[in-house]
This record gives sequence, C-alpha cells and structure tokens, in this order.
Amino acid sequence: MPCERKPMRYGHSEGHTEVCFDDTGEFIVTCGSDGDVRIWKGLDDDDPKFITVGEKAYSLALKNGKLVTASSNNTVQIHTFPDGDPDGILTRFTASATHVTFNSSSSRVAAGSSDFMVKVVEVSDSSQQKTLRGHEAPVLSVTFDPKDDFLASASCDGSVVVWNIEEQTQVISWPLLQKTNDVSNAKSLCRLSWQPGLAKYLAVPVDTKVHLYKRGSWEQVSTLSDDLLTQPINVVAWSPCGQFLAAGSVGGLLTMWDVNSKLCVERQKHEKGFTVCCLAWHPSGSQIAYTDTEGCLGLLDGLSTSTSVPNTVKQAPATKPAKDYDDLFDNDDDDRLMDEGLSDTNSPVKKPAAGDDDDDDFMPVTGRVRNRGAILDDENSLDTGSLKLGQEKFGDDDDDAGSAVVPAAAPLPFRPIYEGPLPTPPQKAFQPGSTPAHLMHRFMMWNSVGIVRSYNDEQDNAIDVEFHDTAVHHAMHLTNSLGHTMADISQEAVLLACPSTDELASKLQCLHFSSWDTNKEWMVDLPRGEDAKALCLGQGWMAVATSTLMLRLFSIGGLQREIVSLPGPVVCLAGHGQQLLIVYHRATGFDGEQSLGVQLLQFGRRKKQIINGEPLPLSQKSYLSWLGFTAEGTPCYVDSDGVVRMLKRSLGKNLGNRWTPVCNTRETCKSKSDHYWVVGVHENPQQLRCIPCKGSRYPPTLPRPAVAILPFKLPLCQTATEKGQMEEQFWRSVLFYNHYSFLSSSGYEIDEDGQRQSQKEQQELLMKMFALSCKLEREFRCVELAELMTQNVVTLAIRYASRSRRLALAQRLSEIALEKANELQEEGPEEQEDEYSIVRYSQGEATGGRFINRQDQEEEEEQGQELGEEEDGDEMEETDTRKCMNPFAKAAGSPVKPSPTPIGKVGRANPFKVPDLGKPPASSGQPRVTNILDNMMSSRKSTPLGGSAGRPNKSPVLKPLAPRPKSKTQSTLLQMTGTKAVSKKTQESTEPAAEQQKPPDIRPPASTADNTENKRPKTGFQLWLEENRKSIVADHPDLEETDIIKEAMGRFRTLSAEERLTWTERAKGHTGDAAELKKRKRVEGGDVENENGQAEADENNAKKKKSLDPSSKLSAFAFNRT
Amino acid sequence: MDPSEVEFLAEKEMVKIIPNFSLDKIYLIGGDLGPFNPGLPVDVPVWLALNLKQRQKCRIVPPEWMDVEKLEEIRELERKEDAFTAVPSPYYMELTKLLLNHASDNIPKADEIRTLVKDIWDTRIAKLRCSADSFISQQEAHAQLDNLTLMEINTIRSFLLDSLNCMYKLRSNLLPGSNKGQFTDY
Repeated sequence: MPCERKPMRYGHSEGHTEVCFDDTGEFIVTCGSDGDVRIWKGLDDDDPKFITVGEKAYSLALKNGKLVTASSNNTVQIHTFPDGDPDGILTRFTASATHVTFNSSSSRVAAGSSDFMVKVVEVSDSSQQKTLRGHEAPVLSVTFDPKDDFLASASCDGSVVVWNIEEQTQVISWPLLQKTNDVSNAKSLCRLSWQPGLAKYLAVPVDTKVHLYKRGSWEQVSTLSDDLLTQPINVVAWSPCGQFLAAGSVGGLLTMWDVNSKLCVERQKHEKGFTVCCLAWHPSGSQIAYTDTEGCLGLLDGLSTSTSVPNTVKQAPATKPAKDYDDLFDNDDDDRLMDEGLSDTNSPVKKPAAGDDDDDDFMPVTGRVRNRGAILDDENSLDTGSLKLGQEKFGDDDDDAGSAVVPAAAPLPFRPIYEGPLPTPPQKAFQPGSTPAHLMHRFMMWNSVGIVRSYNDEQDNAIDVEFHDTAVHHAMHLTNSLGHTMADISQEAVLLACPSTDELASKLQCLHFSSWDTNKEWMVDLPRGEDAKALCLGQGWMAVATSTLMLRLFSIGGLQREIVSLPGPVVCLAGHGQQLLIVYHRATGFDGEQSLGVQLLQFGRRKKQIINGEPLPLSQKSYLSWLGFTAEGTPCYVDSDGVVRMLKRSLGKNLGNRWTPVCNTRETCKSKSDHYWVVGVHENPQQLRCIPCKGSRYPPTLPRPAVAILPFKLPLCQTATEKGQMEEQFWRSVLFYNHYSFLSSSGYEIDEDGQRQSQKEQQELLMKMFALSCKLEREFRCVELAELMTQNVVTLAIRYASRSRRLALAQRLSEIALEKANELQEEGPEEQEDEYSIVRYSQGEATGGRFINRQDQEEEEEQGQELGEEEDGDEMEETDTRKCMNPFAKAAGSPVKPSPTPIGKVGRANPFKVPDLGKPPASSGQPRVTNILDNMMSSRKSTPLGGSAGRPNKSPVLKPLAPRPKSKTQSTLLQMTGTKAVSKKTQESTEPAAEQQKPPDIRPPASTADNTENKRPKTGFQLWLEENRKSIVADHPDLEETDIIKEAMGRFRTLSAEERLTWTERAKGHTGDAAELKKRKRVEGGDVENENGQAEADENNAKKKKSLDPSSKLSAFAFNRT
Repeated sequence: MDPSEVEFLAEKEMVKIIPNFSLDKIYLIGGDLGPFNPGLPVDVPVWLALNLKQRQKCRIVPPEWMDVEKLEEIRELERKEDAFTAVPSPYYMELTKLLLNHASDNIPKADEIRTLVKDIWDTRIAKLRCSADSFISQQEAHAQLDNLTLMEINTIRSFLLDSLNCMYKLRSNLLPGSNKGQFTDY
C-alpha cells in the first residue's frame, strides 16, 4: 500500500513527546518534555503556535476545543483550543500523571498517574471524580471504552485491567506485561486502544505482538504480529474507521494491520530508528502523525485506509520543479491548485499499480463504503476524478470477486492524457531585496539606502526602518496595523503597501521624510479589487504595479501622475533616478522556465522607453531573484542560479541593449545549499554587495547578517590563462565604465578623472595583451588588438613591434594608426560627445553611421580642430621624449644636419601622415579639411618647394618604414622622421649654395664631405657664412635654408670692402698656405705634400668642428624643442 | 609590562565594522583606513572601532573566531592537549574583553563567549603554572613554550623572574659541599 513518509522534523526537545490531531484534522498538536504544547498547521509549519503548560508535559488529549495535558506539577490541566487560554485544573495527583485521554463524547477525562491511581473526571465539573484504585505500580496508560462503560488501564505492575467506571471495580485483569517500578523503566509504554465505533476490540500491545480482546467476553480473540517486529510495541492506535490498527515499536517500526484479515498492510521504518512513543490518526484516516522519544514529529501521508482509492494526497514525483516553487513561493491556494492539476496529469500512470495493490488485500465491501465516506470528508485528498475512479474500480471488484488478477483500469475517458511539456507555475510578484512574506521576521527591503524589517509575531506587529547612513534619517519604528507586506526605501521616502482584505482596500503608505513641510506622510487607497503587487521608488516619483495589470505612477508628494497598462502580470519593479525597470510575465513558461519580459522607461526631461518589452534572459530553469540598478544607474538582475546580469547599453541609435552576465555568485559558494542574497551592485568600485546565506536562499534577521563583497567576473573562456584573464579584465572594464557614457549622455555630471582612469586602464590592458600576443607570435591578433587601441597607444604598439623586430606588423600597425588619425579628425566633435568610441570601434559597429551628423561636426569644427591640435601636440611630446630616450638610435638613424629651419607646422604634424603621401589622402579629397589636414598639406608642399619632388632618388627614401638592418633599436617612427629629414637634406643639397659643409657632428659622412670639400677651394663668403650662420639663425629662426643663404648673402654684401677682402684672403690663405707648403716642401717630395695638405685641411676642419660642435648640438636641441 | 600596555598593543588589531556614516579614506601614520561606506564592512583597528562604537557611528562585526562553536572546539582541544594549542588570535583575551565590554550588543551570545574565553584562559594559565612548576622542580635551565600569547607571558613573567632570581640567590649562597638534592625542597 503506497504511503509517503514525510521527513521527520524537530518538534520538541529530547524526551517523551505526544501528538494528536484536532477534531477537524487541521492542526497537529504535540507536547513534549520542554513543557510546551505546539499547534502545527501542518508538518511544514515552521512557526507553530505554542502554549506553555508546565515544566514538562507528559501527555495530552484534545477534543472539542479542550486541551487536557498532564504536566510535571502533578496536575491535569485544561486549556482552550486553539487559543491556549488556561481553563483550570482538572485534577491533581500526588505524583505526575502519565497518560490522559478523553472518552468518545469528550465529557470525561481519564488520567493515570505514577501514584498508582486512575481518575475519571467530568470535564464540566471537575469535582465529580471517580478514582480507580488497584494498581500496584505507576499507571502506564488508560483508555475509555467508546460506549463509556469500561475503562482499560495498563500499569507497571504488569497488569492490564478493565474497570467498570460506574462501580469503580476491576472487571478483569490480565498479567501480560513485565513488572517494573517506574514508567521510565518500562520496556513499553503499553498504550492501549479501544476500537472506535463498534467498540468490539481492545488492543493491547504485548511485547512484539498486539492482543485483541473482545469486549464483554474479555477473551483474547486474535493476535496481530509481524515478522519484522523484533522489539516491543510501544503504542497502538485504531484508525478512525476502526478497521486498521497502527502500532509503533521501540525500534521505530510503524506497522499497520487490517484487523479483519489480520494482515499487515503497511510497514514503515522511522528514519533514524528512534522509539516511537505516540501515534495519532488524522480524523480522515489518511495520515498518521507520530513522535519519537527524541522530540521529533513525523507524518505518514497518503494512507488509504479504504485502499480502494489511490491516494491523491501524495504529491506527484514528476512535479518536482513545481514543488520547489511551492517551497519558494509560499504555498498558497493558487499554487496548490496548480499542483493538483499537475498531479492529475500524472495519475494515470500510477493508477494501474494502485489497482494491483488493491487486489491483494481482499477487502470486505462494507469497510470500503465507510472509508469512502471518510475520504469524502477529506477535502484535500480527493477530486471528483479520482472519486469516480474509485467507484469504477469498486464495480470491478464486485464483478471479479475473488479473481486474483484484475485488468488495470482502462484509460480514463474523462481526462485526456497530456504528455507534452508542462507549464511552469509563474513566479509570484516580489520585492527585490526582500525575504518571503510568510516569515515572521523578515526583511521587507534591503537596499543601498537602508533596511526595512518587519516583525509579525504574537507580541508585536511592527516595521523597523533603518538607514545605513544615519545622516539620511534616523531609524524609525512603526506599528504595522495595516499589515504591510511590501516596502521600498530611498533617500527621500519609505513606501509601504498592503494587500487588500475583505473590508479594506489595498493601501499605499508613503513616509516622505525628506519633505520640507510638516506632513511627512500620505496614504492612498487603490480601487476595490486592485491589489498592489510590486512597488518601487525613484527620484521624485514612485510606481506601483497592481493585480489588474496596471502601473500607477505617483509623485513622491502623492500626486497621481500617470497610469500605464502592463503587458502581463508584474514580477517586480525597480527604480533609480529617472529610470524605471519593469519585469513582467510575457507568457507561460514551460518545463521550469519562466517567460519574462522587461521594460525600461525613462522619465524626466527626455521621456522615453529604452527597452520595450524584450524577453529577459534567465538561466535554465531559474527564476528572477533580484532586480535593480547599480549605484551608477545601470539595470542589473540576478536569477535563482546566482547569475548576475547587467545591461550593456549601446550608444548607437538603433542598436539593442544587451544583457551581459557579469558574475555567478554560486561559483563562490562553498556548499550547494549556500546562496548569496544580493543587496546591491556598484560599478565603481566594482562591487557586488551581497549577504552570504549558509544553507538557505535568504538571510535571517537575527543575528544581523553582514554584507560581503564579491568581485565580478565575466564568464569568458580560459580565464585561468594569462590571455583569458586580461581579456576578462579588459571587457569587464569596458562594461563597467560604460555608465560614464550613459550618464554624460543623459546629462549627469560625471567623474572625469575616473573616466580617464578607466580609459587608461583599458589601454594599458590592451597594450599588455598586445605584448603577450607579440610574444606568442600572433601578429594577426596583434593587429586586431591594435584596432581596439586609441591612436596614442597604437604608436606605442608600433614602437614595441619594431623593437621586437616585427616589421611587417609595425607596418600594418602604422596603417591602422593612420586610419585612426583620420577617424580622429573626422570624429573630433563626436569623440567629445561620447568619449567611449572605443567600445564602438571594438564592436566594429556604427562606422557606417559616422557621417550622419556631419552638420553638427561642421558646427563644432573649430572645437575639433583644437582638439586635433592638442592631440597632435601630445603626439609630438611623445615622440620628443622618445628621441631623448634614444639618442643613439637617432644618431645612427638620422644622418641629418639638424636643420635650423623652423619647421613649424611641418614638425608638429602627425608623423603617421607622412607615409600616406604616396596615396591620395582620404580626407584631403573632402571639402571639409581640418587644421591637421592643412598641416599635412603643408608638409607635402614643403617638398615641392625645394623643387626636388620629382627627383627619382627621393621616392625610395620616403617610403615609410624602409627596413634598416644597421640600426637595431630604432623605432619606425624615428625612421620616418629620419627619412623625412633626409628628404629635406637632399633638397638642401640641391640648393645652389649648398656646397657648404655638412654639420660636423656626424662622423661617418663627414669624411666624404671633407673629400669633396678638399677638391673645391672655399670662397670667402663660405668661410664667413660658416662663422656667422648661427647669428643669422638666431635672428631669423623661421627662415628656410635657402633663405638663410640669401640673407647671408645680403649681410655679406653689407660688410665693408676691407672685411670682405680679409675673408677672401682668408679663403685664399687656406689655399695659399697650402701652396706655400707645397713650395716649401717641394724639396721633401711631392707625395708627402699632398698628404700634408690634406692633413692640414683636416686640421682646419677639426678646428672648425670644435668651434661648431657645441653650437650645432644646441641648435639640434633647439630643433627638437620647436 | 603592564596588562594595560598589552591591551594597548592589542588595540592595533584589525576588526571589521559596519559604519553608518560616509567618509573618504583617512590617511594615518599607521596606514590608510577606509573608505567608509554606510552599511559596508570595513577593516579598522580596534581602537578606532571602539571609538566609533562609543559614538554610535558603527556596528562591530565580531571576529570570525568569536563564535560559540569555534571557541568550544578550541576549549576542548586546549583541555585535551598537554601542550599549548594555537589560539585564534594572539590577543584573544584582550580582544574578547575589549569587544565584549564595549560592543556586547553587536556580538551574539556574548555571555557564552565570555565564559568560553575565560575557560580557555584558565586552562592555559593552569598549564602555564604546571609547566613553571615542573620547570623549577626539575631544575631545568631552559624550556620552550610555543603558542603563548603576550598577555599570558606577561601574567607569569614578573612572578617567574622574581622567584627564579630568588632561588638563584639562595642557591648561590649554598655551601659548596652540599648537593643539589637538598634544594629542591625550597
């Protein structure tokens, strides 16, 4: 016979514990050695009502609203039930009473005591007592004859006695038990039981058997036994129908016999094998409650005492998810209906098996009829379908009476079998940050502002409001006379709401503590039939979603502002600033999934709907457990699988917002049953504030839970590797600093330092990833990374690449850098508008839409130019510093005379634009040309100025990034400036007056220069120029080389004739000296002469070098600085 | 060393508090503290925690070991072992005293904790006395005692040093001829 043993639960402290049902079967009542009587609404009732009756309660009996207990102060007391008010003392003994029991009409109470006496007392008049004396040891148990004539008692003296109550005499006495001296030493409690109704049998547990004695003749008519029973039976109890007898043994075995057939129909073992010390049948006969000596309470459910009807009380195993939900969404009527619906669908599977069972125990028809009646009384256990089934089978049995095999019940025509996916019970509306409403002490709200707790027990029904920051407001204590179940708290107000009752409408109460007037509170009634389901507070407004699929918006002062219809039953609301987030049921989910939709509304200046009813992604078979905004205003939610998801807003016009998982709180849990209860999310610093709950989903209010902080972690692949880690960090950073762009776009002030910091952090990460990819020789990946970088960082990357001798990479990068530079110019204004273009670069989106607001750009062109210039300035500084850092590379890489020519804008131009000279610059073709482009143009123009643009030898030199094997550490950037400079040099050399000496600080080419120099005699002007060049340059720093020479010419002419003569003579003197030497040394030999001459020329050169050296260096320095 | 000095040292220990005010990082010689966010646990030294607590600016989160079950375990272990067991904090006694005296409302089962810590303390002091006794009676020159806390050392230091000095004096005044056995009786 199928029956479900519910798990044991703690009932009382260790010791003898008794249990009984009340008359309706609604309550289970227990008493225990802690002296309390507890009234449970069911086995799952976590919060039973209790009545303290004494220091210890030994026994209880309950009938007709009277609760009789035997307590340790030797009295038998009456309390009213279910109120628990004391109703006087029924009787007293000289020792403690051991067992009390009612008669069937509940007019009398019998009590056995340790002082060997049994008393029978009229409940209405406790003075009418009958004392039954005769036992010679403490009385173990007493039981009334249902017809009220007799009373049976068992005692430690080993006897079981039947008394005639009226005559107060022993009718018969059987020496059945072992003798002991005290109840505590007795092997068995020997709880007797008289068959109800017919009162035909008295059941006496004797060791491992139960003897049945017939009333009247007092003969032992039969013995019930079971092979599995090896330990003494402690207690027996008749089923209300009188057909079954249940027994509980010392070893924890629960056995049930059918008295007529004397067959054992049910065996259950106590889950821990503790001694069962009390048994009680549910009035319907479908359940047995039992208690053990450890104070635990258990229940056997689904006993079918009729056995003809398959038990329907039993929960269907296939509805596991539904059951889970029951536990979570406190089981109310709706859920139960759903449950029953579900279990019905399963019942066809079970029914045949049940039918087989039936056939095994041949039941007399009469018993069944009676039992069916009993079952009909049980409102929980039956629906009409199964009742019909019962009747049908009934018929079957009649027809095939005696036949062993009955064909399984045919498929039932009245209930189609559905085997598809089962609908999920929709998740109930809840307040994010609250614990379930059925708890006595609960959090109504815990958010970043404060905590609202509610206490709802006998003494107190109150709400405590506490602010994290006492500067906001002091703590408040309110009496909860309206029975508020929902709350929200913000910096401005506390909002409370209660569901409607029969008399009262659902109410909304707002404690507007930040109001500057004297009325700090307002209240509003919702229309009849409309219940508040969820509510939230924003800045200056509040929203309530109701059971009629309505969203009502109020101002914080109580003004009704708007009323919106919701597309589905609300699940929860969240507000922040001007944003309202609504989650509702979009449709019915199947197979444990919820089907939720989300809307995000924005009020205030720019009223708009940001998310319009998109599905809310949840983990598989999970439900929403928290919804809210981060402190920075990004929507965020948590599902029951602990996955935290955050909205990634995209800035483009028509691009969707995406939910990104940012953390899984379950990963950090130590055990499976541990959870984190989220109370807040912060983006900067990145904190997930939550409360660790050991073995539960919700924290208790006491002891006060402490907030823990969890880090975020995007669930990227391979986060154990360095690459994965950096990728995770990068994308997390991108995601978590996304709010800056949102805030700035919605007109909030933003922390620019923080923004810059974050950008820097991201770029650093990119650079690290770049370096890593370089190390791993993943050049393609490097380029991909470079695309995410800002231009400045790309230059660094180029440097890195060229240093690690990846020239192909460096070349590609420089192309990217160029592109970026172009983009930067085009985007200048836009860039400023939403700084976070990097996100968009990375997503490769919005590139097409770049030019949409060209007009705006033109308006802001001025600004953009400035920006561009600034950028370039930065660039220059950077290259400068690099030059300083790398003097050797420079010396080797740029054999350039430090041209004193004021380069002006040419020098400030972006070095990356130079390589683009070969191709037609994309931007130059456009009518809109920024200053930087002008710079580029001028740099281009400077070359034709020299007239050497067409020279064929120049173009190869200008090629960007020509590989230079000699210089090991040079950077391409420098190379480029170098080549540029070289081009200038060549152009200089084409000047008519360019025969002049090359700067002497460059050694290797100097020798060749000297050679050419030697061949040509110097003019006086040249000598003069050498000496005075500096001063000219100093006077006119902005002159070109050719201009310098012109200027020099002019100056030379202004000199007096004598001075000019001396210069020409000096020039001649050079040659003259040489000639003289020749003459002088002709004697010594012509060969030597030549050598000498050269040597002398070298000497002269050296002298000149000395004189020039420092100045040229300085000028070089000056050049770098310009 | 004064017990109050040991207590002073113990006040440098860090303890978690939940402030109910908002304050940026504060920069002290001993290190930076904060930032203080209302409702968010933050580590501060005990002296600051007590100060804030007295001004009702925070709630103190008891240290992890200040828990009845854990302390019971430690007590059992301490009773079972002959040697000193490792204590949860080098300042367990001082911290218990300070926190329970000033913030008992923030510590669940404060009385039980007080009793348990006192039990542990008594057990350890008893052990210390025993070991000092055997140290002297066996005339050892040195002994190694692990896991002693500063407060415990401090309680026995003056007495042990004085008595050892005293014995040394007595011993050095002995006649050279006599053997050691006599002096164990002192």
